[in-house]
Amino acid sequence: MMAETSNETSSPDGIRILAFLCNWCSYAGADLAGVSRLQYPANVLDVRVMCTGTISPYFVIKAFQEGMDGVLIAGCHIGDCHYLKGNYMTAKRFQVLREALRFLGLEEGRLRLEWVSAAEGEKYAEVIRSFTEEVRALGPSPLRERREAGAGAVKA
Amino acid sequence: MSGLKEIIREKLGNDADAFLCLKSEDGAVLPVLISDVGSPDLEAVEVGEARYPLPKILAGLLAAYPDKRFAVLVRGCDERAVIELSKLEQMDLDRVVMVGLACTTEEAEACGCPRPYPNDIALGEKVEPAPGREIIAEVESLADRERMEWWREQFSRCIKCYGCRNICPMCFCKDCSLENPHLVEPGVIPPEFPSFHIIRALDMAGRCIDCGLCEEACPAGIPLRSLYRKMQEIMADKLGYRAGESLDEKSPLSFLGTEADLEKLE
Amino acid sequence: MAEKELSYRLVPSTCTYCGTGCGVLLEVMGGRLAGTLPQKDHPVSKGALCIKGWSCHEFVHSPRRLTRPMVRRDGELVETDWETALKMVAEGLARTRDEHGPDAVGFFASARCTNEENYLLQKLARVVIGTNNVDHCARL
Repeated sequence: MMAETSNETSSPDGIRILAFLCNWCSYAGADLAGVSRLQYPANVLDVRVMCTGTISPYFVIKAFQEGMDGVLIAGCHIGDCHYLKGNYMTAKRFQVLREALRFLGLEEGRLRLEWVSAAEGEKYAEVIRSFTEEVRALGPSPLRERREAGAGAVKA
Repeated sequence: MSGLKEIIREKLGNDADAFLCLKSEDGAVLPVLISDVGSPDLEAVEVGEARYPLPKILAGLLAAYPDKRFAVLVRGCDERAVIELSKLEQMDLDRVVMVGLACTTEEAEACGCPRPYPNDIALGEKVEPAPGREIIAEVESLADRERMEWWREQFSRCIKCYGCRNICPMCFCKDCSLENPHLVEPGVIPPEFPSFHIIRALDMAGRCIDCGLCEEACPAGIPLRSLYRKMQEIMADKLGYRAGESLDEKSPLSFLGTEADLEKLE
Repeated sequence: MAEKELSYRLVPSTCTYCGTGCGVLLEVMGGRLAGTLPQKDHPVSKGALCIKGWSCHEFVHSPRRLTRPMVRRDGELVETDWETALKMVAEGLARTRDEHGPDAVGFFASARCTNEENYLLQKLARVVIGTNNVDHCARL
């Protein structure tokens, strides 16, 4: 993942979004969107996980540190989790993570949680369209700007 | 402190193999473990203003001496730590006897924690809490970008001494995320914003018992306590949980989840 | 299994790593150094420590400590006895001083040694070798 993000992706306007998709639902939904030839912006890098419940908040922090402007987590609808309750964990963690990042000054619109089933290709496309638009309006992430400027840290 | 000395004698006679409290030595107050009523340390017992993470020391003792029972002097925060640590399986409450000490008005005001007294008070009198929310309110009054700049400035003084983590009674991971080179790059001071501090803050969600030792241990005067206090507020607001209160209810972040949890979410 | 005797105490001391002299409490459990806590009411450090202070106990029981003198033979460090080692050091230092002058030798004192040991080292440097090139690991 780190190697991919450090190269320039095909992001048309430089806005980069990382999407964590769960194997059983949202990734399949994304696949369906592709097969159905639905159109949506090319700013998104997908990372397939087996369950959104395995996504540690650290991954999201790391994604922002590595220069992502937005992070999307898309999992199964509540009650449909392949592992029964993984997405309950996602829902709980997300609350804390979002509020913590807001408190530090990261704009709320840069992090999103959605439930997308394997049959919801159109929903996936719509989520990508609307999230990309929201992040685009916010501009490049302040965390990314600083890193690229090489803010003065002392390397011991 | 004669009341405390009496209690220590009584506990050592019946309930416990050793008593963990504080004593005075050469003008300084420090933790002491008294296992014998005849010990000269008993005469030196004294509780000053200096606070130490007694629950942290206790957890180490319980692990090192699996067959011993310990009595421990606890303020409100210490008791919250013991309760939460027992839920995190770091403490066997069957081997712990808590002796409660209520904080004075001055101590409560200087500290600002939500409950400056333990459930059972053996020494001192209950006083009203003086919750301190000024810094949180100040941060919340700033817009996003200003907020981030404010935190950047605070964290820019961090020398990565790990004092906040080392002194925290709730921190016990053998493999600390803050020492994971993929998350916090070794040898970079100050640590890249905001990784070190947000990782710590996220780990403190549902865990921090608002003792304030972190901020006291910080050589750089970073308002850590306010950050972690905000995490407590988030946990209470969004997930209906406060660390250190219930002996049974575990933090929602420590198990997968029930229907009841989801009802509390948006 | 016999019951382990309860043994835990905190020994107030001063961190040796730099000139600040922060107050530490060394945790001694079962006769071994187990950890460090800051002295909360110390007039200089006031309950804070830097990373060196927090870990000032670690080197004492470190498994990486040398227990025997070692010399390099064919590029590899091998154990030897004190006589051999001291002879090598004495000969090497004397040769360097004689061939290149006393200032060709530098001496590094250590925070992990006692004041007395550091005193002896600088005496060795100044009187025996004849140089003022004396420094300390705190400057690294």
